[in-house]
Amino acid sequence: MSDQPTRKTFLVLSRQAPYGGYKAQQSLDIALASAVFEQDVIFVFLGDGVFQILSNQKPGAINAKPMGGALETLQLYGVEEVYVDQSSLDARHLTQSDLVVDAQALDNDKLVELINGADCVFNL
Amino acid sequence: MSILHTISKPPSSGLLESCLPLLKAGDCVLFIEDGVFHCINSNQLVDGNLGVKFCALTEDLEARGLRNRVTPLFSVTNTPGFVELCVRFDKIVNWF
Repeated sequence: MSDQPTRKTFLVLSRQAPYGGYKAQQSLDIALASAVFEQDVIFVFLGDGVFQILSNQKPGAINAKPMGGALETLQLYGVEEVYVDQSSLDARHLTQSDLVVDAQALDNDKLVELINGADCVFNL
Repeated sequence: MSILHTISKPPSSGLLESCLPLLKAGDCVLFIEDGVFHCINSNQLVDGNLGVKFCALTEDLEARGLRNRVTPLFSVTNTPGFVELCVRFDKIVNWF
C-alpha cells in the first residue's frame, strides 16, 4: 500500500437539459466533488446536455439557480477538459457562439477514445 | 370539442411525434418546462397543422436562454395565460 492517494480519470457524460430534471445538476456535482478529491475529471456535454451551456439563461423566472454559471466553476475546480459534442450541436441548430462555456468540440472517434482512456464513466 | 396538449420534455423524447397525428383544427399545443426546446425549430410542425395553435411558456423560455430564439410559428404566454388556456379548452392532455 502506498501513501499516495489513488488518482483516477473520471469521465462524466452529461446528457440531460437543465432545470427539467435532476441529472444535469448531479452530473455537475459528481464532476466538482471528484475534482475536489484531486481526481482527473473530463466533462462532456452530449445530446440534450448541450442545452445546459446555452447563453442568456435566466432561471429566476422558474425559481431555479443558473446552470451556465455553475458550469463556469468547472475550470475553477481544476476541470480543464470540457468538451461539447459537435453532432449534438448540429442536430439542435446550435453553434459554439451560442454557448457560455468555452468547450472543445468533440466527434464520435474522440469520444470513444475518451471512454477507453477513462477509469470510470458516469453517463447521466 | 377542442383539446389543449401540453408537452414538457425536449424533442429527443419523441412526445411531439406521438401528439402530432391527434391534432385537429382549433386545438392548441403548449410547450412547457423542457418542452420549450421544441420552439427553436419549427420545420416539423408547419406541414399539415393548419388551425392548430403552438404556444410556449415564457418563464421556461427565459430560464433556458431561449426567449430570443423562438421561431415565429410559436406564440408566447405566461403562467396566468397558461391557466386561461386550461379553462378555455374542453380537454387537457399532458404529454410527459
